[in-house]
Amino acid sequence: MTDLERRYARWIALFYPADYRRTRGSELVDTYLSLAAPIRGRPSPADIADLAAGGLRQHLRAARDLGPGFRLAGLLALTTATTCATGWATIEAFTPTPPWSPHVGPFLSLAIVAWAVWLVAAVLFVAASGRWFRWAAGLAVLVTVAIVPAAALTGLPRPPLLVLLPQIVLGVVALGATVQHLWWVRLMPVAVAAAVLPVAVGVESGFYFSGYYYPAAKTLPAAAATLLVSALLIAIGLAARRDYSGTWAMLILLTPIGMLAVQPLSMLFDDFGAGRAVNPTWSSAAATSMLVAVIGSMLLPLALVARGRLAAGRRPLGPGPCPTCGASSASA
Amino acid sequence: MPEFPYAFVADILCRVEAPLREPTFLILTALAGRPMHGYGLIAEVARLSDGRISLRPGTLYGALDRLVDGGLVAVDHEDVVDGRLRRYYRLTEPGGDLLAAEVERMRRNVQAATAQLRAAKVAPRPNRGFA
Repeated sequence: MTDLERRYARWIALFYPADYRRTRGSELVDTYLSLAAPIRGRPSPADIADLAAGGLRQHLRAARDLGPGFRLAGLLALTTATTCATGWATIEAFTPTPPWSPHVGPFLSLAIVAWAVWLVAAVLFVAASGRWFRWAAGLAVLVTVAIVPAAALTGLPRPPLLVLLPQIVLGVVALGATVQHLWWVRLMPVAVAAAVLPVAVGVESGFYFSGYYYPAAKTLPAAAATLLVSALLIAIGLAARRDYSGTWAMLILLTPIGMLAVQPLSMLFDDFGAGRAVNPTWSSAAATSMLVAVIGSMLLPLALVARGRLAAGRRPLGPGPCPTCGASSASA
Repeated sequence: MPEFPYAFVADILCRVEAPLREPTFLILTALAGRPMHGYGLIAEVARLSDGRISLRPGTLYGALDRLVDGGLVAVDHEDVVDGRLRRYYRLTEPGGDLLAAEVERMRRNVQAATAQLRAAKVAPRPNRGFA
């Protein structure tokens, strides 16, 4: 084996899933070697980039439950986002707006527009085609993002980032939802939101004049816990049937769950003891959000790589079936 | 094992890639001649496209995996050269049908475009002057 061949094999071992490498590795090395100039001693940067992209493609291809996992995560995220939007819309509508404090018409802040678009997206999820729903959900995410600069430009009030950020992340995940479900599944986001409406009104009346802060401090961690437990139960139930889409959905949802739970998580960064503030400092909340975003974005690639290695470890010894034709090694 | 077990994948592939992307079209075209291995396919695709398209192995095998999953291409046979596996691929019957359909679609487009160009040359240009 030449040095170049060994180096290609090493890169393939690094990037490709073990199963694929076992059955295709030798063929890939042969093709790269055939293309390499005779004097070449190392793989070119372009070859390494090609190997990395090809390896990622194979990891995604091997995780067959990942696509359904995205769709399931989208449904759960949409349900949570719709429920949150209903709660926030209640606050916007029911919180009294004294004439001396800035407000937007009869509403508390600019965010009423975003919550309205979210509710329209949920209705379209039940009643319209997938294209219409995706347009509305995409618009809802954009409007929610636009609240911050719009408030800065106009001087009108907006909800705290603690409220907007989880909604944006939930919205991005919700874009993965598809309308190809049974009618009662499609009804889920609207039904859950309708069910929590009386609770939202009750919570709002308990925090009269408080605006977003106190309801957010109480309800967002509860929403995080509910989403976590729901996703976990679904993942366990599906895994019992050897369907791992719930596990992928759980992994995808950990980022929005972390964003919903930023407040209690931020408290971990603050000092404990007497005199500790009830709310986390802005800096610890920002650091926690960053941490959640970074860890969340790394979870899926790491899980894909780990899956590739674990799947190979579970296999009995031997070359296994051909990845292209599915035939056993004896016949392939 | 049946040769074409994933008809639904082929259906999805045809819908997703209608019309076929050029590299996919050229891979199918290259395989229509005879079974080929990875390097042979890369060289043939470059030749067919006059050097415009140079596939890299990672891209080629990604495309081959999709085509094999869709039943459009199958493994023909394997050789061992210098201790390394060399797998040859061939076009399947559904793959040939898809390629023929794509060629027909392109032929009609070429016909339509040629007719339009011819008509444009024959017809007098509209007078846009100040006369």
